[in-house]
Amino acid sequence: MSILAWKNLLHDRVRLIVTLTGIVFALVLIAIQFGMFLGFLDTAANIVENNSADLWISAPGIPHVNGGSPIQESKRWKALQVPGVTRTANFAIFFVNWKLPNGAFETCQIAGFDLDSGMGGPWNLVAGRVEDLRGEDTVIIDDLYKTKLGVHKIGETLEINGKRARIVGFTHGIRSFTTAPYVFTSFKNAQNYIPMREHETIFILLRTAPGANLPAIKTRLLATIPGIEIFTHDEILLRTRNYWVFGTGAGTTTLMGAILGLLVGIVVVAQTIYAATIDHLKEFGTLKAMGATNGQIYQVIILQSALAAVMGYVFGISVALAIVGSTANTDLLIKLPWPVALGIFGLTLFMCMSASLLSIRKATTIDPAMVFRG
Amino acid sequence: MQPLVSVSHLVKEYGSGANRFRALNDVSLDIHAGQVLVLMGPSGSGKTTLISILGGILSATSGSVRIDGREIVGMPESQRPALRRDLFGFIFQGFNLFPALTAEENVAIMCKLKHVPQPARAAANLLESVGLADKRNAYPADLSGGQKQRVAIARALAGHPRILLADEPTAALDSVSGRNVLEILSGLARQNNRAVVIVTHDPRVLEYCDRIVTIEDGRISSDELRRHIPPTPGDIA
Ligand SMILES: Nc1ncnc2c1ncn2[C@@H]1O[C@H](COP(=O)(O)OP(=O)(O)OP(=O)(O)O)[C@@H](O)[C@H]1O
Ligand SMILES: [Mg+2]
Repeated sequence: MSILAWKNLLHDRVRLIVTLTGIVFALVLIAIQFGMFLGFLDTAANIVENNSADLWISAPGIPHVNGGSPIQESKRWKALQVPGVTRTANFAIFFVNWKLPNGAFETCQIAGFDLDSGMGGPWNLVAGRVEDLRGEDTVIIDDLYKTKLGVHKIGETLEINGKRARIVGFTHGIRSFTTAPYVFTSFKNAQNYIPMREHETIFILLRTAPGANLPAIKTRLLATIPGIEIFTHDEILLRTRNYWVFGTGAGTTTLMGAILGLLVGIVVVAQTIYAATIDHLKEFGTLKAMGATNGQIYQVIILQSALAAVMGYVFGISVALAIVGSTANTDLLIKLPWPVALGIFGLTLFMCMSASLLSIRKATTIDPAMVFRG
Repeated sequence: MQPLVSVSHLVKEYGSGANRFRALNDVSLDIHAGQVLVLMGPSGSGKTTLISILGGILSATSGSVRIDGREIVGMPESQRPALRRDLFGFIFQGFNLFPALTAEENVAIMCKLKHVPQPARAAANLLESVGLADKRNAYPADLSGGQKQRVAIARALAGHPRILLADEPTAALDSVSGRNVLEILSGLARQNNRAVVIVTHDPRVLEYCDRIVTIEDGRISSDELRRHIPPTPGDIA
């Protein structure tokens, strides 16, 4: 019976193409939208994720890591007195203006970190050294934003918030969720670029003793230092991620896109497989008259949709991978890790199988007596 | 000699209530192995209805149909596919071949359905027996009407069923191919001790048949033997 499924599928060339187009379209939509969603999860809080601090002190009520406001740097000394806190460092993230060579401005975000502690520094360096940031007016940017920021090589100089800055290195793949790329610099340099008063910082990063009781330390810190908020690594990560991915609607939109892809896929595939079943009704009736059971006819229909699923998947995932590949060096991150690709295969099978349910219902009602009626 | 098929007081009504229509009215008929039986009668007289019931694809309203000793009136739907598969070969006016399959695949798929060992080999042999060895790999669209019907006969022969049921097998054929198909069908009955039932309006059939049953308004109006049929030892004892 499998030969009938296979050859019927190939026999209706036009329908096969329509079915495959439907599957491919749905798959690409699902893969890309979901991949963008994964990319958002990654990008939204990468600056936190790659920061090794155990606790973050900020001004109270900040919406996300990119929305901090200045606090007194002197709180550091109070924090250091709390047992379990082994190290403190200043850290600043702040939106600033970047002057392009043509005189126009781009917005970017200064990430000013303490070089001695290393907490908050850049990762994935592909040119230059972090140590070079000890020099005055030095910055490191990501090579994905070279064009956007109008710089191309180490040594070029430009202006941030009216102050001189010199490129000393490039990272690769540190994307920003917003349109404002990160510009890494030392905290000392950052004080020049960010409109903060002396002795102010945006965050105080804490490192604690191994195995320290973080909730207890948090309570102590809150009791000792007034007017602050304290986050663990995961807390600020989640707050930031939720804000950007869900608070802005970006994540919900991409997830909806993926679900829409699934629905479109089911409808298109259901429609073509149903139409194919209707077209082959006489053949199914003949099979039934000649002794095939309903189960054997379902097998043909299910096999047909499974074959369409496999073919559609091969095309669809290839297109999706090509799209993912083509965005590798852009500021849009689309992730398609293999477990997701595998999951999408399962989804494709599910999509095609559920699409064939309608046809199976139809096949049940075939009256074999139809074969003798013209 | 026990008949292969024994029909008694068969009634078939279509529809219900005011739309009720009696298509077969008290039909009784015995069919023997080795016999080519032709069912004739005006359009709407109930011929197709009768062979559909004989073949287990339509259920009767009342009466009895025993095939090979087994009562099939009132048989549950779930047992019918196996009955059809194991006892019958069907031949249709419109051939009903699978257009996406080659001639051999059309026959082989039925061999598989009927659990015939080495279905591809069996299919090739069957095609050869209807004189189509050279058309094994042709698709139905590339065959003439007569060739298509011969493929359909080969397919109906898969698993060597005891009973062949053919509804207007020559209606769509020209006279030469029609004759050819009838020769094959009648030969099949005699060679292999089968019962062959042919519904037709085609007068050419009369040369090849052993018995003519005429139905009018759902009743048998005449039943005449054309030649003497010797009882065969292979018949059901
Ligand atoms: N499914 C059905 N529902 C209602 N009436 C039916 C149905 N099938 C057949 N009939 C009626 O039963 C009668 C016998 O039909 P049948 O098809 O058996 O005739 P037939 O002898 O094969 O005719 P023909 O030579 O035209 O093929 C006809 O009056 C037909 O209209
Ligand atoms: Mg008829």
